[in-house]
Amino acid sequence: MLLDLIYGKYKTVSIVGLAKNTGKTVALNHIIQEAAGRDMVLGLISTGRDGEAIDLITEKEKPQIYVEAGSIIATTSLLLPLAEATIEIIKATEHRTPLGEVVIGRVIDGGYVQIGGPQTAAGIREVVNTILGLGADLVLIDGAMDRRASAAPSISQATILSTGAVLSRDMDRVIEETLHMVNLFSLPAIEDYREREIIKRAFMKGQVAIMDKGLNIAPIPIKTPLNSGTIIGNHIKDDTKYLLIPSSLATSTVEGIINSGGEYRNIYIVVADGTKIFIPCQEWLKFMQQAVKVKVLNPINIVAITINPYSPEGYYFDPKEFLDKTRYYIEDIPVVDLMLGVNWG
Amino acid sequence: MLDLTRVKPYGDTLNDGMVQISFTLPVPYGDRATEAARRLAIKMGLEEPSLVYSKDLGQGYTYFILYGKCSHTIDYTKIKVPQVKLEKMDKGEVEDYIRDNIKRDVVVIGACTGTDAHTVGIDAIMNMKGYGGHFGLERYEGIRAYNLGSQVPNEELVAKAIELKADAILVSQVVTQKNVHISNLTQLVDLLEAEGIRDRIILICGGPRISHELAKELGYDAGFGPGTFAEDVASFIVREMVNRKLI
Repeated sequence: MLLDLIYGKYKTVSIVGLAKNTGKTVALNHIIQEAAGRDMVLGLISTGRDGEAIDLITEKEKPQIYVEAGSIIATTSLLLPLAEATIEIIKATEHRTPLGEVVIGRVIDGGYVQIGGPQTAAGIREVVNTILGLGADLVLIDGAMDRRASAAPSISQATILSTGAVLSRDMDRVIEETLHMVNLFSLPAIEDYREREIIKRAFMKGQVAIMDKGLNIAPIPIKTPLNSGTIIGNHIKDDTKYLLIPSSLATSTVEGIINSGGEYRNIYIVVADGTKIFIPCQEWLKFMQQAVKVKVLNPINIVAITINPYSPEGYYFDPKEFLDKTRYYIEDIPVVDLMLGVNWG
Repeated sequence: MLDLTRVKPYGDTLNDGMVQISFTLPVPYGDRATEAARRLAIKMGLEEPSLVYSKDLGQGYTYFILYGKCSHTIDYTKIKVPQVKLEKMDKGEVEDYIRDNIKRDVVVIGACTGTDAHTVGIDAIMNMKGYGGHFGLERYEGIRAYNLGSQVPNEELVAKAIELKADAILVSQVVTQKNVHISNLTQLVDLLEAEGIRDRIILICGGPRISHELAKELGYDAGFGPGTFAEDVASFIVREMVNRKLI
Protein backbone atom coordinates (compact mmCIF):
# COMPACT_ATOMS: atom_id res chain seq x y z
CA MET A 1 0.00 0.00 0.00
CA LEU A 2 1.13 3.57 -0.65
CA LEU A 3 0.72 4.56 2.99
CA ASP A 4 3.05 1.76 4.13
CA LEU A 5 5.77 3.22 1.93
CA ILE A 6 5.63 6.59 3.64
CA TYR A 7 4.02 6.38 7.09
CA GLY A 8 6.55 6.58 9.91
CA LYS A 9 9.34 7.41 7.44
CA TYR A 10 8.31 10.79 6.11
CA LYS A 11 6.13 13.58 7.48
CA THR A 12 5.76 15.54 4.25
CA VAL A 13 5.05 13.84 0.92
CA SER A 14 4.37 15.58 -2.39
CA ILE A 15 2.33 14.09 -5.23
CA VAL A 16 3.69 15.34 -8.53
CA GLY A 17 2.34 14.58 -12.01
CA LEU A 18 4.12 14.46 -15.35
CA ALA A 19 1.01 16.07 -16.80
CA LYS A 20 -2.54 16.77 -15.77
CA ASN A 21 -4.92 13.79 -15.68
CA THR A 22 -2.20 11.34 -14.70
CA GLY A 23 -4.03 10.34 -11.51
CA LYS A 24 -2.72 12.59 -8.73
CA THR A 25 -6.13 12.87 -7.08
CA VAL A 26 -6.60 9.09 -7.28
CA ALA A 27 -3.27 8.62 -5.48
CA LEU A 28 -4.30 11.21 -2.89
CA ASN A 29 -7.67 9.54 -2.30
CA HIS A 30 -5.99 6.15 -2.01
CA ILE A 31 -3.78 7.37 0.84
CA ILE A 32 -6.69 9.18 2.51
CA GLN A 33 -8.65 5.90 2.52
CA GLU A 34 -5.71 3.94 3.90
CA ALA A 35 -5.16 6.52 6.62
CA ALA A 36 -8.83 6.41 7.64
CA GLY A 37 -8.32 2.96 9.16
CA ARG A 38 -5.46 4.10 11.35
CA ASP A 39 -5.10 6.27 14.37
CA MET A 40 -3.38 9.17 12.66
CA VAL A 41 -4.00 12.81 11.81
CA LEU A 42 -3.67 13.50 8.11
CA GLY A 43 -2.86 16.96 6.75
CA LEU A 44 -3.82 17.95 3.17
CA ILE A 45 -2.70 20.87 1.06
CA SER A 46 -2.70 21.53 -2.69
CA THR A 47 -0.30 23.68 -4.71
CA GLY A 48 -3.26 24.28 -7.03
CA ARG A 49 -6.83 23.35 -6.27
CA ASP A 50 -8.25 19.88 -5.89
CA GLY A 51 -11.61 18.32 -5.14
CA GLU A 52 -13.68 20.11 -7.79
CA ALA A 53 -16.20 17.87 -9.54
CA ILE A 54 -15.51 18.96 -13.13
CA ASP A 55 -12.07 19.45 -14.68
CA LEU A 56 -11.62 23.07 -15.78
CA ILE A 57 -9.81 22.18 -18.98
CA THR A 58 -11.17 18.86 -20.21
CA GLU A 59 -14.66 19.57 -18.77
CA LYS A 60 -14.83 15.93 -17.68
CA GLU A 61 -15.77 14.57 -14.25
CA LYS A 62 -12.99 14.36 -11.68
CA PRO A 63 -12.70 12.25 -8.54
CA GLN A 64 -13.78 14.31 -5.53
CA ILE A 65 -11.99 14.34 -2.19
CA TYR A 66 -13.70 12.90 0.91
CA VAL A 67 -11.95 13.64 4.18
CA GLU A 68 -12.48 12.04 7.59
CA ALA A 69 -13.14 13.97 10.78
CA GLY A 70 -9.93 15.02 12.49
CA SER A 71 -7.98 15.76 9.31
CA ILE A 72 -6.36 19.17 8.96
CA ILE A 73 -6.69 20.83 5.57
CA ALA A 74 -5.43 23.94 3.82
CA THR A 75 -7.93 25.63 1.53
CA THR A 76 -8.82 29.18 0.50
CA SER A 77 -11.53 31.57 1.60
CA LEU A 78 -13.44 31.10 -1.69
CA LEU A 79 -13.08 27.30 -1.78
CA LEU A 80 -14.06 26.79 1.87
CA PRO A 81 -17.80 27.47 1.31
CA LEU A 82 -17.84 24.81 -1.43
CA ALA A 83 -17.05 22.05 1.07
CA GLU A 84 -19.74 19.63 2.23
CA ALA A 85 -17.68 18.62 5.24
CA THR A 86 -17.98 20.70 8.41
CA ILE A 87 -14.72 22.56 8.87
CA GLU A 88 -13.58 24.56 11.86
CA ILE A 89 -11.17 27.33 10.81
CA ILE A 90 -8.08 27.14 13.01
CA LYS A 91 -5.93 29.73 11.32
CA ALA A 92 -6.26 32.38 8.64
CA THR A 93 -2.99 33.08 6.84
CA GLU A 94 -1.76 36.06 4.82
CA HIS A 95 -1.03 33.95 1.76
CA ARG A 96 -3.05 35.34 -1.13
CA THR A 97 -4.30 33.28 -4.08
CA PRO A 98 -6.61 34.02 -7.04
CA LEU A 99 -9.32 32.25 -5.00
CA GLY A 100 -8.86 34.17 -1.76
CA GLU A 101 -6.58 33.92 1.26
CA VAL A 102 -5.29 30.55 2.42
CA VAL A 103 -7.01 29.22 5.55
CA ILE A 104 -6.23 26.15 7.64
CA GLY A 105 -9.11 24.16 9.10
CA ARG A 106 -9.88 21.03 11.07
CA VAL A 107 -12.54 18.67 9.71
CA ILE A 108 -15.29 18.24 12.34
CA ASP A 109 -17.71 16.10 10.29
CA GLY A 110 -16.32 14.13 7.36
CA GLY A 111 -17.37 15.01 3.82
CA TYR A 112 -16.25 16.35 0.46
CA VAL A 113 -13.81 19.26 0.46
CA GLN A 114 -11.86 21.37 -1.99
CA ILE A 115 -8.28 21.87 -0.93
CA GLY A 116 -5.84 24.61 -1.88
CA GLY A 117 -2.72 26.37 -0.67
CA PRO A 118 -0.33 29.23 -1.36
CA GLN A 119 0.85 29.95 -4.92
CA THR A 120 4.56 29.85 -4.10
CA ALA A 121 6.77 26.99 -2.92
CA ALA A 122 8.00 29.03 0.03
CA GLY A 123 4.36 29.66 1.01
CA ILE A 124 3.58 25.94 0.75
CA ARG A 125 6.52 25.09 3.01
CA GLU A 126 5.34 27.60 5.60
CA VAL A 127 1.74 26.32 5.66
CA VAL A 128 2.91 22.67 5.72
CA ASN A 129 4.98 23.49 8.81
CA THR A 130 1.96 25.13 10.41
CA ILE A 131 -0.16 22.02 9.74
CA LEU A 132 2.55 19.81 11.27
CA GLY A 133 2.63 22.13 14.26
CA LEU A 134 -1.13 21.70 14.67
CA GLY A 135 -0.61 17.96 15.16
CA ALA A 136 -0.65 16.31 11.72
CA ASP A 137 1.33 13.04 11.56
CA LEU A 138 1.66 13.24 7.78
CA VAL A 139 1.04 16.10 5.34
CA LEU A 140 0.26 15.27 1.71
CA ILE A 141 1.14 18.04 -0.74
CA ASP A 142 -1.10 17.50 -3.75
CA GLY A 143 0.41 18.84 -6.96
CA ALA A 144 -1.26 20.74 -9.78
CA MET A 145 -0.99 20.15 -13.52
CA ASP A 146 2.65 19.21 -14.24
CA ARG A 147 4.19 21.58 -11.68
CA ARG A 148 7.04 19.97 -9.79
CA ALA A 149 8.60 22.63 -7.53
CA SER A 150 6.92 20.96 -4.52
CA ALA A 151 9.04 17.82 -5.06
CA ALA A 152 12.19 19.75 -4.02
CA PRO A 153 13.61 18.26 -0.82
CA SER A 154 13.40 21.73 0.73
CA ILE A 155 9.60 21.42 0.43
CA SER A 156 8.80 17.70 0.83
CA GLN A 157 10.78 14.77 2.22
CA ALA A 158 9.46 12.29 -0.34
CA THR A 159 7.56 12.32 -3.62
CA ILE A 160 4.97 10.16 -5.37
CA LEU A 161 5.20 10.52 -9.15
CA SER A 162 2.05 10.15 -11.26
CA THR A 163 2.29 9.39 -14.96
CA GLY A 164 -0.03 8.09 -17.63
CA ALA A 165 -1.31 7.65 -21.14
CA VAL A 166 -2.26 11.34 -21.40
CA LEU A 167 1.41 12.14 -22.15
CA SER A 168 1.37 10.38 -25.53
CA ARG A 169 -0.49 7.83 -27.63
CA ASP A 170 2.81 5.98 -27.84
CA MET A 171 3.41 3.87 -24.71
CA ASP A 172 7.18 3.84 -25.21
CA ARG A 173 7.18 7.61 -25.32
CA VAL A 174 5.25 7.77 -22.01
CA ILE A 175 7.73 5.40 -20.37
CA GLU A 176 10.65 7.37 -21.81
CA GLU A 177 9.31 10.65 -20.40
CA THR A 178 8.67 9.00 -17.04
CA LEU A 179 12.14 7.50 -16.95
CA HIS A 180 13.59 10.93 -17.75
CA MET A 181 11.83 12.49 -14.76
CA VAL A 182 12.93 9.59 -12.53
CA ASN A 183 16.52 10.09 -13.75
CA LEU A 184 16.48 13.83 -13.03
CA PHE A 185 15.03 13.24 -9.57
CA SER A 186 17.56 10.48 -8.79
CA LEU A 187 20.78 12.14 -10.02
CA PRO A 188 23.86 11.21 -7.96
CA ALA A 189 24.48 13.38 -4.92
CA ILE A 190 27.71 15.04 -3.80
CA GLU A 191 28.80 12.56 -1.15
CA ASP A 192 31.89 14.10 0.44
CA TYR A 193 30.93 15.82 3.69
CA ARG A 194 33.41 18.72 3.36
CA GLU A 195 32.42 19.40 -0.24
CA ARG A 196 28.74 19.31 0.71
CA GLU A 197 29.19 21.89 3.45
CA ILE A 198 31.09 24.28 1.17
CA ILE A 199 28.59 23.87 -1.66
CA LYS A 200 25.64 24.37 0.70
CA ARG A 201 27.11 27.67 1.87
CA ALA A 202 27.82 28.76 -1.71
CA PHE A 203 24.25 27.90 -2.75
CA MET A 204 22.85 30.02 0.06
CA LYS A 205 24.51 33.06 -1.56
CA GLY A 206 22.58 32.25 -4.74
CA GLN A 207 25.56 33.00 -6.97
CA VAL A 208 26.74 30.88 -9.91
CA ALA A 209 30.32 29.89 -9.09
CA ILE A 210 33.14 27.50 -9.93
CA MET A 211 34.92 25.38 -7.34
CA ASP A 212 38.48 24.22 -7.99
CA LYS A 213 40.19 21.03 -6.89
CA GLY A 214 41.45 22.81 -3.76
CA LEU A 215 37.76 23.49 -2.92
CA ASN A 216 38.13 27.24 -3.46
CA ILE A 217 35.05 29.05 -4.70
CA ALA A 218 35.13 31.75 -7.38
CA PRO A 219 31.81 33.44 -8.15
CA ILE A 220 30.92 34.20 -11.78
CA PRO A 221 29.58 37.76 -12.05
CA ILE A 222 26.17 37.10 -13.62
CA LYS A 223 22.67 37.63 -12.24
CA THR A 224 21.28 34.36 -13.59
CA PRO A 225 22.63 31.35 -15.50
CA LEU A 226 19.81 31.86 -18.02
CA ASN A 227 21.17 33.18 -21.34
CA SER A 228 24.69 33.16 -19.85
CA GLY A 229 25.94 29.70 -20.83
CA THR A 230 28.87 31.08 -22.84
CA ILE A 231 30.08 33.33 -20.02
CA ILE A 232 29.85 30.40 -17.61
CA GLY A 233 31.70 28.11 -20.03
CA ASN A 234 34.54 30.65 -20.34
CA HIS A 235 35.12 30.48 -16.58
CA ILE A 236 35.83 26.73 -16.59
CA LYS A 237 39.56 26.21 -16.09
CA ASP A 238 41.93 23.25 -15.96
CA ASP A 239 41.70 22.96 -12.17
CA THR A 240 37.90 23.37 -12.04
CA LYS A 241 36.11 20.52 -10.26
CA TYR A 242 32.52 21.70 -9.98
CA LEU A 243 30.34 24.30 -11.63
CA LEU A 244 27.86 25.37 -8.95
CA ILE A 245 24.43 26.49 -10.19
CA PRO A 246 22.14 27.31 -7.27
CA SER A 247 19.17 28.23 -9.48
CA SER A 248 18.05 26.71 -12.80
CA LEU A 249 19.82 24.52 -15.33
CA ALA A 250 18.10 25.08 -18.67
CA THR A 251 18.75 23.64 -22.13
CA SER A 252 20.10 26.93 -23.53
CA THR A 253 22.48 27.32 -20.58
CA VAL A 254 24.03 23.89 -21.20
CA GLU A 255 24.23 24.58 -24.95
CA GLY A 256 26.08 27.82 -24.19
CA ILE A 257 28.54 25.99 -21.93
CA ILE A 258 29.24 23.36 -24.59
CA ASN A 259 29.60 25.92 -27.39
CA SER A 260 31.97 28.11 -25.37
CA GLY A 261 34.63 25.50 -26.02
CA GLY A 262 35.56 25.22 -22.34
CA GLU A 263 36.63 21.87 -20.90
CA TYR A 264 33.22 21.03 -19.48
CA ARG A 265 33.88 17.30 -19.89
CA ASN A 266 36.21 17.25 -16.90
CA ILE A 267 33.80 18.85 -14.45
CA TYR A 268 30.50 18.18 -12.76
CA ILE A 269 27.66 20.68 -12.91
CA VAL A 270 26.05 20.78 -9.45
CA VAL A 271 22.44 21.87 -8.88
CA ALA A 272 20.35 21.84 -5.70
CA ASP A 273 18.00 19.07 -6.85
CA GLY A 274 16.26 17.62 -9.92
CA THR A 275 13.39 20.14 -9.89
CA LYS A 276 15.90 22.81 -10.93
CA ILE A 277 16.63 21.12 -14.28
CA PHE A 278 14.68 22.30 -17.33
CA ILE A 279 15.97 20.04 -20.06
CA PRO A 280 13.57 17.87 -22.07
CA CYS A 281 14.24 14.17 -22.57
CA GLN A 282 15.80 14.28 -26.06
CA GLU A 283 18.12 17.19 -25.27
CA TRP A 284 19.17 15.51 -22.02
CA LEU A 285 20.16 12.32 -23.83
CA LYS A 286 22.12 14.40 -26.36
CA PHE A 287 23.98 16.20 -23.55
CA MET A 288 24.81 12.89 -21.88
CA GLN A 289 26.35 11.69 -25.15
CA GLN A 290 28.41 14.89 -25.19
CA ALA A 291 29.72 13.92 -21.74
CA VAL A 292 27.85 16.57 -19.73
CA LYS A 293 27.84 15.38 -16.10
CA VAL A 294 25.42 16.60 -13.47
CA LYS A 295 25.26 15.98 -9.72
CA VAL A 296 22.85 17.27 -7.10
CA LEU A 297 23.14 18.44 -3.54
CA ASN A 298 19.90 16.72 -2.55
CA PRO A 299 18.36 13.79 -4.43
CA ILE A 300 14.57 13.39 -4.33
CA ASN A 301 13.09 10.32 -2.64
CA ILE A 302 10.60 8.92 -5.13
CA VAL A 303 8.65 6.46 -2.98
CA ALA A 304 6.27 5.22 -5.67
CA ILE A 305 5.14 5.80 -9.23
CA THR A 306 1.43 5.60 -10.03
CA ILE A 307 0.41 4.99 -13.61
CA ASN A 308 -2.87 5.69 -15.39
CA PRO A 309 -3.41 3.81 -18.67
CA TYR A 310 -6.40 6.00 -19.61
CA SER A 311 -6.26 9.37 -21.39
CA PRO A 312 -9.13 11.87 -21.23
CA GLU A 313 -8.68 12.21 -25.01
CA GLY A 314 -10.39 8.82 -25.30
CA TYR A 315 -7.56 6.38 -26.02
CA TYR A 316 -6.04 3.93 -23.57
CA PHE A 317 -3.27 1.36 -23.15
CA ASP A 318 -3.70 -2.25 -22.13
CA PRO A 319 -3.39 -1.74 -18.34
CA LYS A 320 -1.43 -4.94 -17.68
CA GLU A 321 1.02 -4.34 -20.52
CA PHE A 322 1.57 -0.73 -19.45
CA LEU A 323 2.20 -1.78 -15.86
CA ASP A 324 4.58 -4.62 -16.77
CA LYS A 325 6.53 -2.52 -19.24
CA THR A 326 6.91 0.43 -16.86
CA ARG A 327 8.07 -1.95 -14.13
CA TYR A 328 10.57 -3.52 -16.52
CA TYR A 329 12.27 -0.15 -17.10
CA ILE A 330 11.94 1.21 -13.57
CA GLU A 331 13.12 -1.59 -11.33
CA ASP A 332 14.02 0.00 -8.01
CA ILE A 333 10.88 2.09 -7.38
CA PRO A 334 7.42 0.52 -6.77
CA VAL A 335 5.16 1.12 -9.79
CA VAL A 336 1.40 0.78 -9.22
CA ASP A 337 -1.86 1.13 -11.12
CA LEU A 338 -4.25 2.01 -8.32
CA MET A 339 -7.32 1.24 -10.44
CA LEU A 340 -6.10 -2.28 -11.15
CA GLY A 341 -6.34 -3.00 -7.47
CA VAL A 342 -3.50 -4.00 -5.24
CA ASN A 343 -0.93 -5.77 -7.31
CA TRP A 344 2.61 -5.46 -6.17
CA GLY A 345 4.05 -7.86 -8.70
CA MET B 1 -43.57 27.03 -12.14
CA LEU B 2 -39.88 27.66 -11.92
CA ASP B 3 -38.06 24.57 -10.69
CA LEU B 4 -34.44 25.51 -9.91
CA THR B 5 -33.44 21.86 -9.88
CA ARG B 6 -34.52 21.56 -13.53
CA VAL B 7 -33.67 24.84 -15.22
CA LYS B 8 -34.28 25.08 -18.99
CA PRO B 9 -33.75 27.88 -21.50
CA TYR B 10 -36.55 30.45 -21.74
CA GLY B 11 -37.91 31.39 -25.16
CA ASP B 12 -41.52 32.59 -25.20
CA THR B 13 -42.80 30.77 -22.14
CA LEU B 14 -41.20 29.33 -19.01
CA ASN B 15 -39.59 25.91 -19.52
CA ASP B 16 -40.18 25.83 -23.28
CA GLY B 17 -36.45 25.18 -23.66
CA MET B 18 -36.20 27.28 -26.82
CA VAL B 19 -32.71 28.07 -28.07
CA GLN B 20 -31.26 29.60 -31.18
CA ILE B 21 -28.03 28.28 -32.62
CA SER B 22 -25.96 29.25 -35.61
CA PHE B 23 -23.09 27.53 -37.33
CA THR B 24 -21.36 26.96 -40.64
CA LEU B 25 -20.94 23.57 -42.32
CA PRO B 26 -18.25 22.91 -44.92
CA VAL B 27 -20.80 21.56 -47.42
CA PRO B 28 -22.39 23.19 -50.50
CA TYR B 29 -25.67 25.12 -50.08
CA GLY B 30 -28.79 23.07 -50.80
CA ASP B 31 -31.34 20.56 -49.47
CA ARG B 32 -28.72 18.07 -48.35
CA ALA B 33 -26.92 20.77 -46.40
CA THR B 34 -30.19 21.81 -44.70
CA GLU B 35 -30.95 18.23 -43.70
CA ALA B 36 -27.39 17.82 -42.39
CA ALA B 37 -27.79 20.93 -40.22
CA ARG B 38 -31.15 19.67 -38.87
CA ARG B 39 -29.72 16.24 -37.99
CA LEU B 40 -26.72 17.82 -36.29
CA ALA B 41 -29.08 19.95 -34.17
CA ILE B 42 -30.92 16.78 -33.10
CA LYS B 43 -27.60 15.23 -32.12
CA MET B 44 -26.90 18.33 -30.03
CA GLY B 45 -30.03 17.53 -28.01
CA LEU B 46 -32.48 19.93 -29.68
CA GLU B 47 -36.03 18.68 -30.13
CA GLU B 48 -38.10 19.75 -33.15
CA PRO B 49 -35.33 21.83 -34.70
CA SER B 50 -36.50 24.26 -37.34
CA LEU B 51 -34.28 25.96 -39.82
CA VAL B 52 -35.07 29.66 -40.06
CA TYR B 53 -32.16 30.87 -42.16
CA SER B 54 -29.47 29.52 -44.40
CA LYS B 55 -27.01 31.30 -46.66
CA ASP B 56 -24.59 30.14 -49.31
CA LEU B 57 -21.15 31.34 -48.18
CA GLY B 58 -19.58 30.20 -51.44
CA GLN B 59 -16.73 27.76 -52.02
CA GLY B 60 -18.80 24.89 -50.66
CA TYR B 61 -19.72 26.44 -47.29
CA THR B 62 -23.21 27.08 -45.88
CA TYR B 63 -24.30 29.13 -42.88
CA PHE B 64 -27.40 28.17 -40.79
CA ILE B 65 -29.58 29.56 -38.05
CA LEU B 66 -31.91 27.07 -36.30
CA TYR B 67 -34.39 27.12 -33.44
CA GLY B 68 -35.15 24.13 -31.29
CA LYS B 69 -36.16 22.93 -27.84
CA CYS B 70 -33.26 22.02 -25.59
CA SER B 71 -33.95 18.60 -24.11
CA HIS B 72 -31.48 18.99 -21.23
CA THR B 73 -31.98 20.59 -17.84
CA ILE B 74 -29.54 21.75 -15.21
CA ASP B 75 -29.79 21.57 -11.42
CA TYR B 76 -29.06 25.17 -10.50
CA THR B 77 -29.18 24.44 -6.76
CA LYS B 78 -26.18 22.11 -7.04
CA ILE B 79 -23.93 24.65 -8.74
CA LYS B 80 -21.27 26.29 -6.62
CA VAL B 81 -18.57 28.51 -8.06
CA PRO B 82 -16.02 30.65 -6.27
CA GLN B 83 -16.92 34.33 -6.59
CA VAL B 84 -13.81 36.36 -7.30
CA LYS B 85 -14.25 40.10 -6.77
CA LEU B 86 -11.44 42.46 -7.66
CA GLU B 87 -11.86 46.17 -7.06
CA LYS B 88 -10.95 48.17 -10.08
CA MET B 89 -9.38 51.61 -10.29
CA ASP B 90 -9.25 53.77 -13.41
CA LYS B 91 -5.99 54.94 -15.03
CA GLY B 92 -5.77 58.13 -12.98
CA GLU B 93 -6.46 56.31 -9.72
CA VAL B 94 -3.80 53.70 -10.49
CA GLU B 95 -1.27 56.47 -11.18
CA ASP B 96 -2.18 58.22 -7.90
CA TYR B 97 -1.97 54.91 -6.04
CA ILE B 98 1.56 54.30 -7.36
CA ARG B 99 2.63 57.82 -6.42
CA ASP B 100 1.16 57.59 -2.92
CA ASN B 101 1.90 53.98 -1.98
CA ILE B 102 4.73 52.61 -4.10
CA LYS B 103 6.71 55.81 -4.73
CA ARG B 104 8.76 54.38 -7.61
CA ASP B 105 8.19 53.06 -11.11
CA VAL B 106 6.49 49.69 -11.40
CA VAL B 107 8.17 47.41 -13.96
CA VAL B 108 5.82 45.18 -15.94
CA ILE B 109 6.94 42.81 -18.68
CA GLY B 110 4.53 41.03 -20.98
CA ALA B 111 4.88 38.29 -23.57
CA CYS B 112 3.21 35.49 -25.45
CA THR B 113 5.35 32.54 -24.45
CA GLY B 114 6.39 29.31 -26.13
CA THR B 115 4.91 28.73 -29.54
CA ASP B 116 2.04 31.16 -29.03
CA ALA B 117 1.90 33.90 -31.67
CA HIS B 118 -1.48 35.41 -30.67
CA THR B 119 -0.37 38.87 -29.56
CA VAL B 120 -3.77 40.56 -29.81
CA GLY B 121 -4.48 40.09 -26.09
CA ILE B 122 -1.11 41.21 -24.73
CA ASP B 123 -0.98 44.14 -27.15
CA ALA B 124 -4.40 45.35 -25.99
CA ILE B 125 -3.18 45.41 -22.38
CA MET B 126 0.39 46.64 -22.90
CA ASN B 127 0.53 48.93 -25.92
CA MET B 128 0.15 52.69 -25.79
CA LYS B 129 -3.13 52.84 -27.65
CA GLY B 130 -4.77 50.01 -25.74
CA TYR B 131 -8.13 48.65 -26.78
CA GLY B 132 -11.75 49.77 -26.88
CA GLY B 133 -10.93 53.26 -25.63
CA HIS B 134 -8.89 51.96 -22.68
CA PHE B 135 -5.23 53.01 -22.84
CA GLY B 136 -2.57 50.31 -22.41
CA LEU B 137 0.01 50.09 -19.61
CA GLU B 138 2.68 51.88 -21.69
CA ARG B 139 0.60 55.04 -21.32
CA TYR B 140 0.49 54.87 -17.49
CA GLU B 141 2.59 57.29 -15.51
CA GLY B 142 4.60 55.28 -12.98
CA ILE B 143 4.54 52.06 -15.00
CA ARG B 144 7.44 50.95 -17.16
CA ALA B 145 5.92 48.43 -19.56
CA TYR B 146 8.00 46.11 -21.74
CA ASN B 147 6.18 44.08 -24.38
CA LEU B 148 8.52 41.29 -25.49
CA GLY B 149 6.15 40.15 -28.25
CA SER B 150 5.33 36.63 -29.33
CA GLN B 151 6.90 33.18 -29.15
CA VAL B 152 9.17 34.20 -26.28
CA PRO B 153 10.87 31.20 -24.64
CA ASN B 154 10.33 31.01 -20.86
CA GLU B 155 14.10 31.05 -20.29
CA GLU B 156 14.42 34.38 -22.10
CA LEU B 157 11.40 35.85 -20.32
CA VAL B 158 12.82 34.98 -16.89
CA ALA B 159 16.31 36.27 -17.79
CA LYS B 160 14.70 39.54 -18.89
CA ALA B 161 12.63 39.74 -15.70
CA ILE B 162 15.80 39.38 -13.61
CA GLU B 163 17.69 41.92 -15.72
CA LEU B 164 14.91 44.53 -15.54
CA LYS B 165 14.03 43.72 -11.90
CA ALA B 166 10.42 43.18 -12.97
CA ASP B 167 7.65 43.62 -10.43
CA ALA B 168 5.09 41.83 -12.58
CA ILE B 169 5.10 39.35 -15.44
CA LEU B 170 2.14 39.18 -17.77
CA VAL B 171 1.81 36.08 -19.92
CA SER B 172 -0.73 35.70 -22.67
CA GLN B 173 -1.55 32.20 -23.79
CA VAL B 174 -4.32 30.59 -25.77
CA VAL B 175 -4.97 27.53 -23.62
CA THR B 176 -6.47 24.54 -25.36
CA GLN B 177 -6.98 21.00 -24.13
CA LYS B 178 -3.56 20.14 -25.50
CA ASN B 179 -1.04 19.76 -22.72
CA VAL B 180 1.62 21.86 -24.44
CA HIS B 181 -0.12 25.16 -23.69
CA ILE B 182 -0.54 24.22 -20.05
CA SER B 183 3.10 23.14 -19.83
CA ASN B 184 4.30 26.49 -21.16
CA LEU B 185 2.50 28.25 -18.34
CA THR B 186 3.44 25.82 -15.56
CA GLN B 187 7.09 25.60 -16.64
CA LEU B 188 7.38 29.36 -16.23
CA VAL B 189 6.19 28.99 -12.62
CA ASP B 190 8.71 26.23 -11.89
CA LEU B 191 11.49 28.20 -13.58
CA LEU B 192 10.74 31.29 -11.47
CA GLU B 193 10.80 29.03 -8.39
CA ALA B 194 14.15 27.55 -9.41
CA GLU B 195 15.54 31.05 -9.97
CA GLY B 196 14.34 31.97 -6.50
CA ILE B 197 12.27 34.96 -7.60
CA ARG B 198 8.70 33.61 -7.61
CA ASP B 199 7.97 35.29 -4.25
CA ARG B 200 9.06 38.70 -5.53
CA ILE B 201 6.98 38.69 -8.70
CA ILE B 202 3.30 39.31 -9.37
CA LEU B 203 2.63 36.60 -11.92
CA ILE B 204 -0.40 37.03 -14.16
CA CYS B 205 -1.77 35.02 -17.06
CA GLY B 206 -4.39 36.06 -19.56
CA GLY B 207 -6.18 34.64 -22.55
CA PRO B 208 -9.55 33.68 -23.96
CA ARG B 209 -9.94 30.57 -21.77
CA ILE B 210 -8.15 31.80 -18.68
CA SER B 211 -9.91 32.44 -15.38
CA HIS B 212 -8.93 32.99 -11.76
CA GLU B 213 -9.86 29.36 -11.07
CA LEU B 214 -7.43 28.15 -13.72
CA ALA B 215 -4.77 30.59 -12.47
CA LYS B 216 -4.99 28.96 -9.03
CA GLU B 217 -4.08 25.58 -10.53
CA LEU B 218 -1.42 26.97 -12.84
CA GLY B 219 0.35 28.68 -9.93
CA TYR B 220 -0.30 32.27 -11.00
CA ASP B 221 -1.45 35.17 -8.82
CA ALA B 222 -4.31 36.08 -11.15
CA GLY B 223 -5.88 34.94 -14.40
CA PHE B 224 -7.71 37.40 -16.62
CA GLY B 225 -10.16 36.31 -19.30
CA PRO B 226 -12.04 38.08 -22.08
CA GLY B 227 -13.31 41.59 -21.33
CA THR B 228 -10.19 42.55 -19.38
CA PHE B 229 -8.68 46.02 -19.87
CA ALA B 230 -5.32 47.48 -18.85
CA GLU B 231 -6.81 49.11 -15.75
CA ASP B 232 -8.03 45.71 -14.43
CA VAL B 233 -4.49 44.34 -14.66
CA ALA B 234 -2.84 47.53 -13.38
CA SER B 235 -5.21 47.75 -10.38
CA PHE B 236 -4.41 44.18 -9.44
CA ILE B 237 -0.63 44.59 -9.78
CA VAL B 238 -0.30 47.74 -7.69
CA ARG B 239 -2.67 46.56 -4.93
CA GLU B 240 -0.98 43.16 -4.79
CA MET B 241 2.45 44.78 -4.52
CA VAL B 242 1.30 46.72 -1.49
CA ASN B 243 -0.54 43.76 0.07
CA ARG B 244 2.46 41.50 -0.34
CA LYS B 245 4.83 44.23 0.80
CA LEU B 246 6.77 44.14 -2.46
CA ILE B 247 7.41 47.88 -2.64
